[in-house]
Amino acid sequence: MMTEADYYALFEAYALGELAGPARANLEARLAADPALALRYADFKEMTSTLRAYSQRQKVRQQLQSLHATMLAAETPEELTSAATPTEPGKLTPSVNPMLRISRTERRLREFWNGHRATMGVAASVAVLAVFCTLLGLEWWRAAKTQPSMYGYTVLKREVERIKKSQKDLTLTLNQFGRAGSTPPVAKESSGTGFALTSEGYLVTSYHVIQGADSVLVEGHDHKRYHAEPVYSDRKHDLAILRITDKTFNGFGRLPYAIKEGQADLGERVYTLGYPREDVVYGEGALSARSGFQGDTAFYQVSIPVNPGNSGGPLLDERGNLIGVVSGRQNDAQSAAFATKSSYLVRLVDSLAAAKPAVPYLLPRYGQLAGTSRPQQLKKLQDYVFVVKVFE
Amino acid sequence: MSRSNPTSSPLTPTDDALIAAIRNGDERALAHLYRLHWPMVSHFVLQNSGTDDDAQDVYQEGVVVFYEKVRDGSLELSCQIKTYLYAVCRRLWLKRLTSKSRFGVRLLDDEEHGPYLNTGAEEDLLAAEEQDRRFDTMSEALNHLGEPCRSLLEGFYLLDKSMQDLTAEFGYTNADNAKNQKYKCLVRLKKLFFTHYKEESI
Repeated sequence: MMTEADYYALFEAYALGELAGPARANLEARLAADPALALRYADFKEMTSTLRAYSQRQKVRQQLQSLHATMLAAETPEELTSAATPTEPGKLTPSVNPMLRISRTERRLREFWNGHRATMGVAASVAVLAVFCTLLGLEWWRAAKTQPSMYGYTVLKREVERIKKSQKDLTLTLNQFGRAGSTPPVAKESSGTGFALTSEGYLVTSYHVIQGADSVLVEGHDHKRYHAEPVYSDRKHDLAILRITDKTFNGFGRLPYAIKEGQADLGERVYTLGYPREDVVYGEGALSARSGFQGDTAFYQVSIPVNPGNSGGPLLDERGNLIGVVSGRQNDAQSAAFATKSSYLVRLVDSLAAAKPAVPYLLPRYGQLAGTSRPQQLKKLQDYVFVVKVFE
Repeated sequence: MSRSNPTSSPLTPTDDALIAAIRNGDERALAHLYRLHWPMVSHFVLQNSGTDDDAQDVYQEGVVVFYEKVRDGSLELSCQIKTYLYAVCRRLWLKRLTSKSRFGVRLLDDEEHGPYLNTGAEEDLLAAEEQDRRFDTMSEALNHLGEPCRSLLEGFYLLDKSMQDLTAEFGYTNADNAKNQKYKCLVRLKKLFFTHYKEESI
């Protein structure tokens, strides 16, 4: 009885062709007759062929590994001196690969670039987009921001109490909610400065102070209050003329200042009185230009620090002559205030007087302030300078 | 399925010469082939989020498929070697990527490598996969075989040692003893191999 191992010995000898003629014929006959034996032989063959193919495969793998190693070695710049070319079978293909001729750093860079090309592209475009969006946004925002003060000019109307007042009114409205009776209208209040034009009760202030006013209240240094009404406004020169309407009012008395009809000179010492806060405030400076904002010849430029509330205040020279009406200031310049020239005021009054109004305009012709010291001047002056409170 | 190519002779003369040389076991021809097409595959793999090592693995696998087909004489090329290799490696890399990634994979292809779909690479790869599985099972069976047998069989079949050498190496008294031992080992290997192999194929 043959064991399986014995059969394998037989098979191997048969496969190698080492069997002698009769034994070989015998085995072939048995293989043809016995299916179990044939199967056993098939298994043997498959196994040995697999083993041989496996060994073949491993050899090929090793060969390729070494090929790859030599190829990489040939790529390195040290061995770039074409030492490999003679061994290469040049007759097959003469094509030279350009990739073999790049340095290691460059190869790394290329790999990185190839691996992350898409990502980098997206990142770059996002970055570019973001930069442009930011720039555009900033530009747009800046433009939008500078739009209101495009003229660089601020009118000096005082609106300090506004928010406080509207808050108070709101509370009041809420408290009275549901009760019978009318709620008082929510009033917007602003204030400026004004001064007496004639002793009969005409006053001058800036047009923008009383712009859109419902009622105008004038309060003097002594806290006397008068109702006033706008008589005439000159929007172009920012001038407004008010008249006190109270019955009890009986004139200012003689005005201490004269109104100058001509132009004042450059460098003259000038000062103003005004109500930028609850109390009267004195400001002093020099006449720095004979034209106003953007070359407007109806205005002077003066170097007096002025604040919201100073609008409509008188501008006087050293001898106490009225030379202008404070109007506004330039935002982006240091202490550049503007005042309407008094000559325009005189011209305006002349044209009004020509219309023969009920109350005549009698402008003061002679001042009383010349030669007195500044405090003395101010003492007289402050009775004729008023807060102009405007309710809209 | 028609594999008619618009070009009358897809195989360039150098391709023919190369295949003939490889079939005759010319190692330099294989080296030349390897070096010739490496940049293409490396570029392809690197472009599709692979590393240098991935490229090397894929390329070597592809070349092995090609090489074995050539040595078999069963290679039927309907296109250039370059296209065939590209198709094989592309398929291999796609398989690896899909096994790695949960998402669908889309490959960036080089336009210049043309119609890689009708190269017959798919069928060849299926056969190669079957072969791989067989080799894996064999390697597994060899590992399970136990020490003297494994070294004996590996020495004989994989390392091509003669029976005389093996007799001396393993301390058998004569070559017949060694041979008998080898046959016994083969029987055991057969059992291991076929149980594993058949189990897996079910």
